[in-house]
Amino acid sequence: MSGCSRRVVLRGVLAGASVSLALPALESVLGLSDEALADGTAFPRRFGVFFWGNGTLPHRWTPVGEGLGDEWQLSDQLQPLASIKEHLTVVSGLEVRVPNVIPHFSGAAGFMCGVAPLGEEGDNTVAGPTIDQIIAAELGGETLYRSLEIGGRPGGGGGISYTGPHSVNPAERSPFAFFERLFGVGFTPPGEEAVVDPSLALRRSVLDAVSSRMSALKQRVSQQDRQRLQQHEDGIRDLELRLARMQANPISLASCARPDQPDDDGSFGDDVLLRHQALCDLLAMALACDQTRVFTDVLTKPVSNYLFPGMESGHHRLTHDEPDPQPQVHECVLFCMQQYRYLVEALQAIPEGEGTLLDHCIVLGTSGVSLGRTHALDEFPILYAGSGGGVLKTGMHYRSHTRENASAVLLTCMRSLGMLRSEFGVDDARVTDGLSVLEL
Amino acid sequence: MLAFGSIPIGPFRAALLLCLLLALAGCGAGQAPPSHPELPEPALRRLTEAQYINAIEDLFGADLFVPAGIEPDLRVRGLYSVGASLAAISPRGVEGFERASYTVAAQVMEVDRRERVVSCTPDAIVDPDCARAALAPLARRAWRRTVDEDELEQLIELAGASAQALGDFYQGLEFALATVLQYPDFLYRVELGNSVAGDDGTPLFDDFELASRLSFLLWNSIPDEELLDLAERGELSQDLVLDQQLDRMLSSERARKGLRAWFADLLHLADLDELYKDSVTFVHMSDTLGASAREETLLLFEDIVFDQDRDLREILTTRETFLNRELATLYAVQAPVREGFAPYDFGAEGQRRGLLNHASLLTLNSHPASSSPTLRGLFIREVLLCQVMPGAPAGVDTSIPPPSEVARTLRDRVQQHLTDPACGGCHRMMDLLGLGLENFDGIGVYRSQDNGADIDASGEFEETEFANHIEMAELVAQSEDFSDCMTTQVFRAALGQAEEPGQNASLDWLQERFAAHDYRLLPTLKDLLMSPLFRQAGELHPAGPEPVPPEPGIAPAVGLEPQLPGGSR
Repeated sequence: MSGCSRRVVLRGVLAGASVSLALPALESVLGLSDEALADGTAFPRRFGVFFWGNGTLPHRWTPVGEGLGDEWQLSDQLQPLASIKEHLTVVSGLEVRVPNVIPHFSGAAGFMCGVAPLGEEGDNTVAGPTIDQIIAAELGGETLYRSLEIGGRPGGGGGISYTGPHSVNPAERSPFAFFERLFGVGFTPPGEEAVVDPSLALRRSVLDAVSSRMSALKQRVSQQDRQRLQQHEDGIRDLELRLARMQANPISLASCARPDQPDDDGSFGDDVLLRHQALCDLLAMALACDQTRVFTDVLTKPVSNYLFPGMESGHHRLTHDEPDPQPQVHECVLFCMQQYRYLVEALQAIPEGEGTLLDHCIVLGTSGVSLGRTHALDEFPILYAGSGGGVLKTGMHYRSHTRENASAVLLTCMRSLGMLRSEFGVDDARVTDGLSVLEL
Repeated sequence: MLAFGSIPIGPFRAALLLCLLLALAGCGAGQAPPSHPELPEPALRRLTEAQYINAIEDLFGADLFVPAGIEPDLRVRGLYSVGASLAAISPRGVEGFERASYTVAAQVMEVDRRERVVSCTPDAIVDPDCARAALAPLARRAWRRTVDEDELEQLIELAGASAQALGDFYQGLEFALATVLQYPDFLYRVELGNSVAGDDGTPLFDDFELASRLSFLLWNSIPDEELLDLAERGELSQDLVLDQQLDRMLSSERARKGLRAWFADLLHLADLDELYKDSVTFVHMSDTLGASAREETLLLFEDIVFDQDRDLREILTTRETFLNRELATLYAVQAPVREGFAPYDFGAEGQRRGLLNHASLLTLNSHPASSSPTLRGLFIREVLLCQVMPGAPAGVDTSIPPPSEVARTLRDRVQQHLTDPACGGCHRMMDLLGLGLENFDGIGVYRSQDNGADIDASGEFEETEFANHIEMAELVAQSEDFSDCMTTQVFRAALGQAEEPGQNASLDWLQERFAAHDYRLLPTLKDLLMSPLFRQAGELHPAGPEPVPPEPGIAPAVGLEPQLPGGSR
């Protein structure tokens, strides 16, 4: 456990320099790596969640062998991850310890929040923020975006990231819109001077006017509404900060560049997987540009009935109706793992310091259940890629033989990111110790 | 709250008990509405996606491009109109609304449009009088209330400073306009019950709030100038005036739009935009099927409610509908028209009767590659009968065996659901209804066989057997639960909340009104909107001044600590 809280911001190093060289040259020419990258921890640490719905087939999911390196082999369902095995840790045998009363959502929310969801007659919501937002509250303050959410599933309304009950952070599903948001007007690639845009200051005064009305209104409404308006106001404050930063010097991480604009959304048609990949590419560059340090990627939502290519039925339906050994459910999990690999490799493709962007990330992969058919919460699917800047072990399979509490993984993640936390979760899901075996 | 899931038989008993309670609730209400109904604490309602777009069109004209999908609607108790009282605005939403406000403002200030908002000619880059003339009526309409002088001054100043910075009066106005559109009073319905009625201190919605409540419910948009003028003069809440205004509103074309929105919300028709269907199994599947199917359902609704002012229950049993060519092909009947939609009568021999046989509901309540008796039964129970079905218990093996020689049809295969005591309680309630629709495949094509075996579409509804979907629809339409549920759904949408046990007397009254009006929706709605139920407010406990932040310098992370149910540990 490094207890590291150094988060060196590289903004401004390149201020004023006009650079239009090819990217690999940039670092060496400007000596950026000598100056800022000698210590790996100088890079921002990022945390992300990759979520897929409907779980796994646990007996085909759990790797064979335990330990590091060659001591373990990927399972059937993890085969798509062969190319990234050394950057991967699989944590098996853990259990999400919340009452399993809302199929799919008890597990998803229970793991991500450490507390059982609220469910009022079918209207399920979380009882508290999800792990990405807990982390974003501490890590997200220095970047343009506190967090980013993407989802491969069209109509990605909703999502798996919550700031609080009923407060969903909707997943961006359109690569076209995502590009516009991140790299459209207002984005200045490193090396270019920010254009002085008078409207930025005016937009901030508009937000001031809106904020002052919000403050007045907050006093007149109910307690619950005050919370809602507060969240809205937090969003306004984020936006004001973003506008202020857009007026300042551009971000200077070496690999940051404006990516190619994706085709408009029509070109993806129904191809959710292609769409997801385009979103991952943009997300990777957003991280490279330090526009955010926290993300969620919801390939499919809990209970998703998405029809994967070649399947006879939707994914959720298959988990319940397909007879053993559920070959199509297995195929669906493989599709999900291929997309996880795509995300991880997109991060890996971006050089950062001596290694790649992935080295400074923790990309947690998880679902809402283990065995979809029974909505089981033991043998919970948990894996991560990236060492979080050299604090977590990778290339490992850790198998719990005592059905340890899944919350421990999240406590470990938070501590690895430099957050001072003594516990995570409530009631049975509460832990005060992380999984030290994962730490370097 | 049902403690579902713990004992296998529990959910069924609870559901039965609930059904019984709902049935009993139907008796003993008088003619007059409760004078002091139990009402919820007023909550801000976030404009739905459609309301946001409608409001901007009403303010500036229908020829503007308004960005869609800024903040997805939240469905609670099956309704966006209830979720709107709980949904917050995410950081991404704040960003989206900001961006949209400038997209809209820039279009409004284009040369050929600006006169819709600015009737004066500015005599300088900064012209406060002309800015005031433009902004005052606009802000009132957008915020649905009187605009304070301070607020107006602030807008005018903002416009002036922006005009100065950019060297153009109209560009300056864009920023004031963008402020108006980002104001919480635009993005939320601020209806707090500001007026106090009579000696007993019962809170009432004031005239502006009333105008807003009426127009969002009936038009799905902001009030017009006439409503606002009446509100400003304090006349709208006078019974006679309100009565006249309700007649005006209900007979306006806009009411069709508004109530279509209610019905679409009720039936989850928005989900038709996002269909995933196996195009190999369903050869009729197309990109336009969802939109066509939705239009059929809404046209039938409009016809029964507005054009014919008929018994709403007939929507389940009528032979009539509206078809375009695509649906006619799907239904294997002669298209009544080459372009667009036209009325169609399936005739006495036809296979389709009413809403439940529409492609819309059949498609929505199916799997991607097959039909689903369970989903269809669940939909009827929850949406059309307002019954609460407990969720499937976790930790139960829910597999359905594959088709085999002995079990070819889905009916044979789901026997497990029906006979296993852990599943059968709930599944009988759903599946025995849904099986009645097995003659329709996963997108609503009629079929007489499934996997080469004849389909048996018989089933059971509240202990009465039916032979097929036609008899089933009759049973549901005639059941008291259905008519009661329709009033409950109107009540939920009007109040923006799900009903509470203490509101039974109010619901009883409304159900009685529905029956007294021969189950016609518009007169029932009018009774509701004239009643204290709609005009009184629950007591508000204002949040008051901000608490002092515990640690200066550290922004309070509101909502970021887990809120523990029941305050445990």
